[in-house]
Amino acid sequence: MRLTTTCTIALAAGLSLLAAGCGERPKVTVYKQGQYQGKPDTRPWDNDPPKDPSIVAWQKGDKASWEKSIKARTLGQNEYVRIEGASNK
Amino acid sequence: MRGMSQRKRFVRLLVAALAICLPQLAVAASEGQKQQAERQLTQPLNNAPVWRDVRAGEGNPYQTTQVRGIETNVLIQSEGEIWREIRNGPVTVYGGLFVLIIASIIGLFHWLRGPIKLRERPTGRWVKRFTDWERLVHWSTAISFLVLAVSGLVILFGKYIVLPVFGGSVFGYAVFSWLAAISKNLHNFVGPLFIVCASAMFVTYVKDNLWRSYDFRWLGNSGGMLWGEHVPSGKFNAGEKVWFWFGLFLLSIVLAVTGLILDFPNFGQGRATMQLVNVVHAIAAVIYMGVAMGHIYMGTVGVEGTYDSMRISGGDGSVDETWAKEHHEYWYKEVIASRGREAAPTGAAAQPQH
Amino acid sequence: MARMKFLADAERCIECNGCVTACKQEHDIPWGVNRRRVVTLNDGMPGEKSISVACMHCSDAPCMAVCPVDVFYKTSEGIVLHDKDLCIGCGYCFYACPFGAPQFPQDGAFGLRGKMDKCTFCAGGPEPDFSEAEFRKYGRNRIAEGKLPACAEMCSTKALLGGDGDVIADIYRSRAITRGRGSEVWGWGTAYGRPEKKPAAQPPGAKS
Repeated sequence: MRLTTTCTIALAAGLSLLAAGCGERPKVTVYKQGQYQGKPDTRPWDNDPPKDPSIVAWQKGDKASWEKSIKARTLGQNEYVRIEGASNK
Repeated sequence: MRGMSQRKRFVRLLVAALAICLPQLAVAASEGQKQQAERQLTQPLNNAPVWRDVRAGEGNPYQTTQVRGIETNVLIQSEGEIWREIRNGPVTVYGGLFVLIIASIIGLFHWLRGPIKLRERPTGRWVKRFTDWERLVHWSTAISFLVLAVSGLVILFGKYIVLPVFGGSVFGYAVFSWLAAISKNLHNFVGPLFIVCASAMFVTYVKDNLWRSYDFRWLGNSGGMLWGEHVPSGKFNAGEKVWFWFGLFLLSIVLAVTGLILDFPNFGQGRATMQLVNVVHAIAAVIYMGVAMGHIYMGTVGVEGTYDSMRISGGDGSVDETWAKEHHEYWYKEVIASRGREAAPTGAAAQPQH
Repeated sequence: MARMKFLADAERCIECNGCVTACKQEHDIPWGVNRRRVVTLNDGMPGEKSISVACMHCSDAPCMAVCPVDVFYKTSEGIVLHDKDLCIGCGYCFYACPFGAPQFPQDGAFGLRGKMDKCTFCAGGPEPDFSEAEFRKYGRNRIAEGKLPACAEMCSTKALLGGDGDVIADIYRSRAITRGRGSEVWGWGTAYGRPEKKPAAQPPGAKS
């Protein structure tokens, strides 16, 4: 009798634990604009800018200035601008 | 000389085959281009035919890449999204529900009906039911099955059930990753072992699991499980035979074939194969676990005295004569009759050391 | 609010595989692992086009959804990264990915694949930036250096663009306008169906 009761309690506990898992929605991370989602990691702007003439230096820890630097770098891929810049000088 | 002519014949055959195939391939490849050209006339800037071509991928000899590997020349495969929807959707949700519902039914049965007790007192005389070999085969299959079931559950549901228990901390992720890595490797190595064990089990037990006419009567009365009437059966009752043929035979074959395909990616299976096989594997496994839970319940606490027959320690595979008479009457009569023929002096099988 | 993206311009790609080589050399990637590859469509036929493809850092990434141990995470720039220490090598991300981006060092028997490796948008992994461990597992962290992915920056014809989606879209748009064609990659023709009247050749400078 003791054993049956213990078994029933264990079964009920196990079932409720499993049932709790069932209510869990499928875990799908959809990107939210500008939001960090996930594991701890150093953010790019928390590093010192390298001493490199091709890089616009940013303020360590300042996200906006890092983004400005990256934007300048990205615009460098537009060779139309590069040629214009060259002809203007 | 003979080899030479054979090779010549082979080359000629190859050229002929190519001559037949090549124009068709060219047609197949340019079909998309033709459609694209037509589409540009009716709907300029509509590139649907091109993208349809891109997704077709693998078989297209005009879609190439320098990178070697499985399906590297396929630019986009959309089937992965379908697989994801099925795996993360119905397979996980209904699979989990199925396992829970079966567990609840068993719990409810145990609570309402209770374990099936012997109606008469045990005689104290023992009948040999399973030999050492039979029990060894049963338990190697059973243990490998349990390992596969638990590790499989961790891989399918662990992210939703076990990971939240550990919490979202770095440490929690690390612990769960260890658990999952152990599960995956156990699953991949015990899987082939299970195939060996289950095959041995099939060979060992098949002769007693052949379907007999009285099994229909047993099934019709659900083995007297609900209303308690006495239904005779052979060494195995119809329920056990269904478990044998549907579970051990059919589901094991499905799981073995799909499992081996998943377990040995070194033969270069494509993604489409893996996706299909993975879904079939998961569905079959969940059903198998559901039926196995019923079997485990009936074999341990569900029916009094049944576990004695499979004992490794504290028993030698013998059951009490009362149990044999009440649950497997035809088998009991056969055993008693054969005992009479052999004129066993003591009239009882070896005594287990209870 | 940068949202990092890749954009491959099929009109410009010359299938030089420079991006593949740049990637391999930048991150010291072993044989058999290819974070990036160039696929040629209609190879050897009129209208041949090549497209460079790697992890596209999806917003709703299928790899993240199917991973049984949840190794993936997303930075605020939309880069999909993963933690190799947690990876169990099940291969599910490879089955789910539309682009064939996840790579495994082996395809061994008994499912021994090793840790998954994929394009990180040159943003490393969860290890401390510029650490030896980060380089060994994920390659160089160019994003933390204020640089862009090596493949895009090395592309000789600038067919492969990488960076903030808005910025590279602007670059591409100016290109399409200059060329007078190319707006079809945005799929507007598919989305809006049959036009009322057949447009003649687009006037130069028209917004496509």
